[in-house]
Amino acid sequence: MTRRYFFLAAGAAVALAFGFSAAEAADPVSVTIGKLLELTGPLSENGPSQDKAVTIAIDYANQAAAAAGVPVKATAVSADAQGDPQAALSAARALVAKGASAIIGPSITPESIAIANGLTIQKKITLWPVGTSMRLRTIKDEGTIFRTVPPDSLQAYALKTALIDKLGDAKGKLLSIAYRNEPYGEGLSKDLTAAWTAKGGKVQGPVVFDPAQATFDSEAQQVVDNNPDAYVVIDYPDTFAKFGAALVRTGKYDATKLVVPDALAFSTVPTNIPPQALEGARGTRGGSDVSTEAYKLFDQLWQKAGGVEHFALDANSFDSATLVILAAAAAHSPDPAAIAAKIHDITKPGATKYSPTNLGEALKAVWGGQPIDYVGVAGAFEFAANGDPTISRFDIYEYKSGKLNVIKQIDAAK
Amino acid sequence: MTVGRKAASGAPAGAPERRLADIPAAAWLAVVLVAAALVMTIARGPVAVGQTTLNGLVAAGYFSLGAVGLTLVFGTLRIINFAHGDLLTLGAYLTFGISALGLPFWPAAALAIVLTALIAFALDRIIWEPMRRARTSTLQLFLVAIGLAMVIRYSIQFFAGSQVRAVGQDVLSSLSVGPFHLGTLQALVLVVGVAAVALVGVALAFTRFGKQIRALADNMALAEISGIDTLRAVRLIWLVAGGLAGLAGVLYAAAIGSVNPNFGFFILLSLFTAAVLGGIGNAYGALAGGLVIGLAQEWSTLFFNARWKPVVGFAILIVILLIMPRGIFGVGRARS
Repeated sequence: MTRRYFFLAAGAAVALAFGFSAAEAADPVSVTIGKLLELTGPLSENGPSQDKAVTIAIDYANQAAAAAGVPVKATAVSADAQGDPQAALSAARALVAKGASAIIGPSITPESIAIANGLTIQKKITLWPVGTSMRLRTIKDEGTIFRTVPPDSLQAYALKTALIDKLGDAKGKLLSIAYRNEPYGEGLSKDLTAAWTAKGGKVQGPVVFDPAQATFDSEAQQVVDNNPDAYVVIDYPDTFAKFGAALVRTGKYDATKLVVPDALAFSTVPTNIPPQALEGARGTRGGSDVSTEAYKLFDQLWQKAGGVEHFALDANSFDSATLVILAAAAAHSPDPAAIAAKIHDITKPGATKYSPTNLGEALKAVWGGQPIDYVGVAGAFEFAANGDPTISRFDIYEYKSGKLNVIKQIDAAK
Repeated sequence: MTVGRKAASGAPAGAPERRLADIPAAAWLAVVLVAAALVMTIARGPVAVGQTTLNGLVAAGYFSLGAVGLTLVFGTLRIINFAHGDLLTLGAYLTFGISALGLPFWPAAALAIVLTALIAFALDRIIWEPMRRARTSTLQLFLVAIGLAMVIRYSIQFFAGSQVRAVGQDVLSSLSVGPFHLGTLQALVLVVGVAAVALVGVALAFTRFGKQIRALADNMALAEISGIDTLRAVRLIWLVAGGLAGLAGVLYAAAIGSVNPNFGFFILLSLFTAAVLGGIGNAYGALAGGLVIGLAQEWSTLFFNARWKPVVGFAILIVILLIMPRGIFGVGRARS
């Protein structure tokens, strides 16, 4: 070896050693994810599954990061949103006090609005609500709110499709709409009315009811009046337990004419809802293509973890948590604003696609500064400027013997 | 307290008031409600009006049964018992608790009603009696009642959880006559509600205890001087009010099918409305107030979207109180 080659080799060895030590010296990124769950209150049925979805996402991402040698580690803190905006805001503050860099949840849009206005916009913390109402987009969130769940403008399309599937055609068909007095029902009812009348259908109502009222019989009567071709009831489980019973008591109710949105999607109809109110009814919920490898992996993780069964939008919560971890890796930081700034870089249309099946490689790529297009369990997101997905897959399902059976999947796009 | 007396007695001079006061409040109320029903029947047809009237009567049953204990306590002890709604919840949850020990629902409910009465009695001994002795003001009593309401509600949540609970009774069975339907359990609430109010009213008017309670309500010091055992009368009031709250809670929960620990609190405002509208302190007033609120809210759905239903109830409260500041059964005493 000549002297020149010796120095070159020595220099390369030093550079390599320096490089390695620099990589090893990089501070590990420890990101805390806040789980804001509906453990009590009107949507308490979905809290446990959201909790489980985020937990398995974090465990899986930590394993993938460790295997890929990417120094990112996520942990979780959790709090109960209670179905109440004030309680949800207090819970969100508690999560931030415990170091949460991003918040997954809550499920009810007025809660999300209270949290955004009272906390997360100011602190640039990304909020990943499970609530689907378009009312959320009436606030200026400064790019802090992202949803992996399909917004109701897309669900209205899915409901319309489910109705046409059932009735054959919208033309001249009378649709009776009722909703619980919440932004969720109001927005969905408005979009569905527009979609249905645009197809030549007629709409009766909407009958709007207050969840705290003592009786629902007059409202139920109005829903079944004039023998409509179909009814859409946009409600939460706690009220539907009473409203559903009132519908059956009218004596004119036919559950097979009912179509419900995602808040009334249950693997098994809860015991407090009279089974006759839902038997044969159809519905829509944000779905995932269950034939993909990503979904198979998610289901495998879900079954392995034990505990609660699948519930509506669980895959979306899994994806939200994964996106936060990917963004923290891309930002090399658990800083909330840095995470927010990287979301579009990890869901970039045209970039190399990654999915949960090769999450380790995705983490390596984003750690190296490459933009990627993360396609989650619930599908691709490709967020619009407002942070909502531009395309979403929906399940159309039917209740048979108290169990939910998916009969079809559709893609709803703006 | 005006129970068992003609509400118009002692009306001051004044031509319009005298004319109003000369008509018994119950007759006056019946005429107005029947006239309203007839006008609506012309506008909306007999089937729609008939069915909403039945629904309104059911709501009236809930409100009256819940309000009668509330109005009894205020009329005699001047306590705005904010915890009354949570006593309803307690009655329902005690039923769940006793049922869990293996007793069938209705015997468990009977036991729960007795237990709720005893708890209301105990609360008097622990809280209200010392406050009475200390001559605590109405405002302070009100604040204590709010605190007590929260203690009861969150204790229920602590022990029973805050999730929605299915009562397990058949809420789907209904009685049908022609085009009209009424849930069987709803009919039961209606019958029991009317019976309970009538029983309280009759007991107050005609029994020795009733007379003592009325005397106590008018002037506690004078009643005491007259030799009435006011302590015993007050304890009886709490037992009756607690038992009625337990009964209302159990029946309401059974008829609506599922409850959470907030249900008594949610319905409390309607109970206050019924009690105030009927004339606070008057057992028949609770029935009249419940009837007006229940019917007006359900009838309003014939003309307006149901989302305005709660607004209608409170708008009527304001209008009636503007005309009759002491409520329907307090008409003649407005300026006494």
